Amino acid sequence: MAKREDDLRTPGELLGLASEFNAGRGSYCHDGKIYASLVGIRHLIEAKQGSDDLRPTIEIRREKERDAVPEAGSTVTAKITKVQARMASADIVCVGPRAVKEKFTGIVRQQDVRLTEIDKVDMHSSFRPGDIIRAEVISLGDSRAYYLSTAKNELGVVSAVSVAGATMVAVSWQEMQCPLTNQREPRKVAKVVTSNE
Amino acid sequence: LPGDVVFDLAAQAQNKVLRLGSGLSQDADRVVAIKAGRLNHAKSKLWVEGSQKRYIPSAEDSVIGIVIDRRAEEFLVDLNAPVLGLLPILSFEGATRKNIPNLKARAVVYGRVVKAHRDISPALSCLDASGKGSGYGPLKEGYLFECSTGLARSLLGTPTYPVLEALGKSLAFEIAVGVNGRVWVKSDAPATTVLVSNAIINSECLSAAQQHILVQKLLQAAK
Repeated sequence: MAKREDDLRTPGELLGLASEFNAGRGSYCHDGKIYASLVGIRHLIEAKQGSDDLRPTIEIRREKERDAVPEAGSTVTAKITKVQARMASADIVCVGPRAVKEKFTGIVRQQDVRLTEIDKVDMHSSFRPGDIIRAEVISLGDSRAYYLSTAKNELGVVSAVSVAGATMVAVSWQEMQCPLTNQREPRKVAKVVTSNE
Repeated sequence: LPGDVVFDLAAQAQNKVLRLGSGLSQDADRVVAIKAGRLNHAKSKLWVEGSQKRYIPSAEDSVIGIVIDRRAEEFLVDLNAPVLGLLPILSFEGATRKNIPNLKARAVVYGRVVKAHRDISPALSCLDASGKGSGYGPLKEGYLFECSTGLARSLLGTPTYPVLEALGKSLAFEIAVGVNGRVWVKSDAPATTVLVSNAIINSECLSAAQQHILVQKLLQAAK
């Protein structure tokens, strides 16, 4: 095994020829040659069995894990801060399983709350301030906030507190019930899929 | 008073349905008052009514609002409440996309609270539940003054408020009352408007008989 120092690459460094290798993450192809675009360790990944392209893939991976940042398509956990007539604002707390280090703001628009009857969505019956939701990032949005969507069965309110102050239990995809007062409150509830153990 | 236990649910029979109105909150087994006022009881509904200067929006209330601004799809309306109300521009009688009511700042509007909750801005409408105008809409000219929420509710309640009855016998005027503590009066002569407004404002703590005497005195002084 080569020493780590030999494998450490810097941006612009020549990694190989495009005829011999595939450019993977952290590298790019230019004029038939593959160069690194990140600072990191070079990894070589063998081509998959049975695929047409037999070239191994070169990847440059950073040494340290970067802080979690929401990207388009990632699933995030957020806490609703404000509910308005046509949208709800939320603070993104986790990206996937990792907590974020700095605050990101997300917006769930009325048309992104669910898949059916999107013009009849009542934001106040879907979310309330303080709810924890699981949402998917649709896009980076504008300079103020990411655009989030809960338009899937497994997205929506994961945890909510009732008016009486108790954590509520999900009753259906539209309602949650308070264990203290037995009152039901409307929410867009996420269908939490538990793995079989 | 706030904090007083009104009802102990555990001690009651199990299968009765009790509806809680404004001013009451359920705290596990007990129903507790969260506002100061008189406890009212009608059929299976309990609620607390008190008199305040500030209005807390509640659904199905008729209110008088003052337009502050216009956003893309709604007017921002001041209701003498902690939050501004939102009045959609199409929620008026005869309003279409091409015929939007032209309300500028400081216009007075009589409307209905459609939805109110502590987490959102109250949603208003100038149409009643069936979609008709029935008295809601912009109020033109006239004179607007403020009173307590308790007085406003008495003015709207049944039986007819004694001052209004007495004034109505001898004077001609138009009046709109919002439960948010605002009263709008309009009549042909300014003197009549002033008389009516004074009578209403000064009648809050008077009994029915005293109110009749007040009105008579004012009418005589006006001649």
